[in-house]
Amino acid sequence: MDFAFTQEQNIFRDQVIRFAKKEIVPRVPEHDLNGAFDFHSFGRLGEFGILGLHFPEALGGSDADVVTTVMAGEALGEAGVDGGLSLAYGAHTFLCADTILSHGTPAQKERYIPRLASGEWIGCMGLTEPGAGSDVASMSTRAERRGDQYRLNGNKMFITNGPVADVAVVYAKTGRDLGHAGISAFIVEKGTPGFSAGKNIEKMGVRTSHTSELIFEDCEIPEENLIGPEGGGFLMALQTVEWDRSALLAPFVGGMSYVLSKAVRYARERYQFGRPISEFQAVKHKLADIKIFVEAARSLCYRIAWCKDQGRPLNHLEAAVAKLFVGDWGLSPANDAMIIFGGYGYCHEYEVERAFRDSRLAPIGGGTSDIQKKIISKLI
Amino acid sequence: MNFDFGHREKAFQEKIRALFSDTRAEPLMGWGEESMSALRRESLTWLNRLAHTGYLSLALEDEPYGPATVAAQQLLAAVSPALYVCAETSARIFGRLMNAYGSPQLRSQVLPAIRHGEAMGTVALSEPGFHETRADMGTVGSTTSEGFRVSGEKPQVMNAPIADWIAVAGTVDNTDAAAFFLVSRHDQGLFMGQKSPPLGCEDLPMCAVTLEDCRVDPAYVMGPMDGREVFTEVRIWENQVLAAGALGLMQRALDTAVSHAKRHQSGGKPLIAYQEVGFKLAEMLTLLQTAQLLVYRAAWMWETGGPEAQELAYCAKVFSTESAEEVASKALHILGQTGFAHKNPAEGAYRNAKYLQVSGTASALSRMKIADGLLKNR
Repeated sequence: MDFAFTQEQNIFRDQVIRFAKKEIVPRVPEHDLNGAFDFHSFGRLGEFGILGLHFPEALGGSDADVVTTVMAGEALGEAGVDGGLSLAYGAHTFLCADTILSHGTPAQKERYIPRLASGEWIGCMGLTEPGAGSDVASMSTRAERRGDQYRLNGNKMFITNGPVADVAVVYAKTGRDLGHAGISAFIVEKGTPGFSAGKNIEKMGVRTSHTSELIFEDCEIPEENLIGPEGGGFLMALQTVEWDRSALLAPFVGGMSYVLSKAVRYARERYQFGRPISEFQAVKHKLADIKIFVEAARSLCYRIAWCKDQGRPLNHLEAAVAKLFVGDWGLSPANDAMIIFGGYGYCHEYEVERAFRDSRLAPIGGGTSDIQKKIISKLI
Repeated sequence: MNFDFGHREKAFQEKIRALFSDTRAEPLMGWGEESMSALRRESLTWLNRLAHTGYLSLALEDEPYGPATVAAQQLLAAVSPALYVCAETSARIFGRLMNAYGSPQLRSQVLPAIRHGEAMGTVALSEPGFHETRADMGTVGSTTSEGFRVSGEKPQVMNAPIADWIAVAGTVDNTDAAAFFLVSRHDQGLFMGQKSPPLGCEDLPMCAVTLEDCRVDPAYVMGPMDGREVFTEVRIWENQVLAAGALGLMQRALDTAVSHAKRHQSGGKPLIAYQEVGFKLAEMLTLLQTAQLLVYRAAWMWETGGPEAQELAYCAKVFSTESAEEVASKALHILGQTGFAHKNPAEGAYRNAKYLQVSGTASALSRMKIADGLLKNR
């Protein structure tokens, strides 16, 4: 058993932190408060190589392993990148591009992966519907085969990057009575007649990521846009949500480390009753609890990454455990950090309230905590 | 990065499992019903069996304390918390102290018997008002022409009634210098107190130790040394034992609860089919696996000398021992009246979890140390 990163990984981690601190973090507060998608920062993530880190070099990526990829996500959070941009990156790279990379045809990979890796195009993934969340089999979006085309009808809900995406991986039923086996995945490009995105849904946190409905009204796409075999979509969705429960958790854990550093600095500088508040036991205990959470959560994320690097594409238990812990046990440290800052913590300027707002998504997005408990209890 | 154990480590874990595969009764259950001499005999029998697997030599020979040791510790703690504490007190705390600070002669005289499970040791460190960051202690070894005369009182010393050797921490001649005075169970001036009924760990041989002008030959003294350093080190060894023990305790409570939830029927279906039960089990498993990884990583950092090794050891101690109480509490809810019965693994785990939290560096003090590390380094 070995928890060490390689020297190259450590160097890369430092590079990511330096890059993010210099180029992205200064832009975060304004975009967060305005609820604006930061196209410039997203593009810079592509130029720096983050968006396609684990893609093959031949397709514009860097051939990185999953541990390095997760590490980059954690480094973004640790630098102070907000949950919104991290979520936009995750939806783009893991939920959209990785599905095409893992299951797409050579032609699909050639057309989409380089553009997604560079950030020239933005991707999203449409699985959830107004009436179907974790119960994927109950989805009502249909893809009806008509000659060499599929006609899509239905709505997708809470789609991260929906309003800004150039390309979407969309799940729809191709077989009415087949349950999970009737779900297929398709690529739909922006501008395709019958395909539109709703307006950005204003959210409590992760505000720099834009979320919307996707609407399909007799949207006809060529059969070449089917990903993998007809009926193979459910397995793809399972693999996709596992990224949700590993790589997408890492920026959150890194973000808690960022908040911890800020809280430590503030506690050192803030004087009350003639001494820094860091000397009060109640404050020290809160700092310790945040530290314990960060250290406990980190290994859970890297364990899934390591499993993937060992060639295990599905790691349901490990992923559900990580998602449940980070989601549910992460709420308290985010709250503690805000309380250390007192009244200032409630103000936008000090950023901890943003971390508090962002943390509220962790037990909800990518399968709620209750869904993770359901998965775990079935596997026990 | 590697989250798996090697073939050699897995084979070792199998040896530990095999040792208890045909044991129906839990080893060392019920010290209250047995005489001290019978308990000592039974303890040595089990320690000797453990020694044949190599368990007692972990962290005492070439390989330092690391994740492989933690995995073995968890296995033993899940089978028998009493045997676990007895073995760990002797090998991992007393043994490591001897290994690190004993003279070559002392090591060769004492350690082989400890490693082979033919003798038991313990360390008497804490006393009222003691803090490992200060060197002052009520127990004092006074220099005489023949060596030292040691006087003092140590409450609640694990293994004390059955140990062959007790390493008693004290100061030398009321100075800042500290030492461990090694006394044998037969030494004059050494007195064992009565067992006081504890909340948990009632199967463990634990009592107060009093020394009244107990003569100790200089050859049996480790020190003088800087007490703050060595006491902190011993505390961390204790914390490692307690954190790994909490993993075994959680495993035991979870296994008991899962087995009950699958077997016990209610409303025509097994308990586990109810979300109230299934979800609790999910939370228990999540806490166990999270604690396990944290304790492994803390041990790995200790082994490799990482910059935050001490802080991580404290994090692991707090999280693992506090999670143990939560897991045991949930197990009790699932087991209902069955779990509430005396000697059920869940009720035992619930009470023992408190011992794990308050022993070694207690949770509140551990949090202070974690925060001190953060304030110093960030």
